[in-house]
Amino acid sequence: MNPGPRRFIAYGFASVHDALAAESALEAGDVRVTAIPSPRALGELCGVAIRIAPEDAEAAKAVLARAGLPPRGSAEIDDI
Amino acid sequence: MSDALVTRPCVYLDHSATSWPKPPEVVEAVVGAMTAGGANPGRGAYAMALAASRIVFESRRACADLLGVPDARDLAFVSGCTEACNLMLKGLLAPGDRVVVSSMEHNAISRPLHALSLLGVRVDVVQADETGRVHADDFERAVRSEATRAVICQHASNVTGSIQPVADLADIAHENGALLLVDGAQAVGHLDVDLAVLQVDAYAASGHKGLLGPQGVGVLYLRPGLDAAELLQGGTGGGSSEEESQPQGRPERYEAGTPNTPGIAGLGAAARLLIAHGAQWRAEEQAVFARLRRGLVAIPGVTVLGPAVDEPCVPTLSLVSDRLDVDRIAFELDRRYGIAVRSGLHCAPWAHRTLGTLETGAVRLGVGRGNTLDDAEAVLAALREMLA
Repeated sequence: MNPGPRRFIAYGFASVHDALAAESALEAGDVRVTAIPSPRALGELCGVAIRIAPEDAEAAKAVLARAGLPPRGSAEIDDI
Repeated sequence: MSDALVTRPCVYLDHSATSWPKPPEVVEAVVGAMTAGGANPGRGAYAMALAASRIVFESRRACADLLGVPDARDLAFVSGCTEACNLMLKGLLAPGDRVVVSSMEHNAISRPLHALSLLGVRVDVVQADETGRVHADDFERAVRSEATRAVICQHASNVTGSIQPVADLADIAHENGALLLVDGAQAVGHLDVDLAVLQVDAYAASGHKGLLGPQGVGVLYLRPGLDAAELLQGGTGGGSSEEESQPQGRPERYEAGTPNTPGIAGLGAAARLLIAHGAQWRAEEQAVFARLRRGLVAIPGVTVLGPAVDEPCVPTLSLVSDRLDVDRIAFELDRRYGIAVRSGLHCAPWAHRTLGTLETGAVRLGVGRGNTLDDAEAVLAALREMLA
């Protein structure tokens, strides 16, 4: 049975600075993270977003809350 | 190599204009930002663009750590202290406002204020004393006399090295409902500046003087919540490109257009060096400066402008002689002895008027990282010989 496409979660932030600050905080919190172009699913066509695996979402939310960097938006997206 | 780049060895004492030589780490960071990190920061998200973005991000954090700024987003990268001064003045003042400003200011403050005065900003000048130091009591009287939008003062003089009582001025301004706006061009790097402690509302800093970064970059600190209008509108690369108006978030609001990434990279490297070694370097340059000051005041016919020899200063002083005009002194120091100093008014006619040297100018000696006691002795020997 096809398990279906892998998915990822994208977090958008108010600025590139905030996105990179989030990346830095997540790395320090041992959350796997990748900086990506802001996906259209976040309602933005420019800038930098943060990509994480769905299974890391709870840990990521906790890290970002502690860092004072709540995402401006999030979207779950099929990988290709 | 261009002839313009051919220089001979010299004793460099023009650190008040720009620091030289730059630390190798700064040069390497500049080159790195033009090679491996040479993409446009904050725009694309491919590997090299992200590398460039991280250079800017890390440099901002390093500058914030160095200057005691809790949230790095409150530091904007600008082209230099002049732009920072223009932004804090023109972004915060409006026709009808009154400001109180010291008589020791550089043209980076006095000229924007002149332009603003033509638009209806009232500029009242508080006189510094004959050593170039301003007194908090004088400011307090001026600020209390009428409603005041802002108190404006340098942190340290680019002519005399005088350190101004910025923390006291912050108290005076805030007790009277005014802002304190500071030109820190000559202070950062030479003093241990902690903006959280100083409680300033805005602080403009040069990146290439005491901070040891490249020319063409500076920073402006605006305290959280202070709504300064931006000078420029344009691309910021972030997630708001579709909006007609400039983003209001920091730092994007104040950074329209492609930034000077190589300069920012160099400044970030310099900030990291100053965090690690700044205290030691400040002690070393103060030792050289103290030797220079003590030696100069003992040369007959030389008058050293500014505070008394033992009073704390940033390592800058100016002098005049009753034997030679200041341009001749500077020229002969260079030609005969390979000593680099600057004569004239140092872009600070207000300060020279205060000191009584508007008609003569002065010779300025600016000590900085890398100067040695031998440099001080070389200058003293040259001046004794020239002015005997």
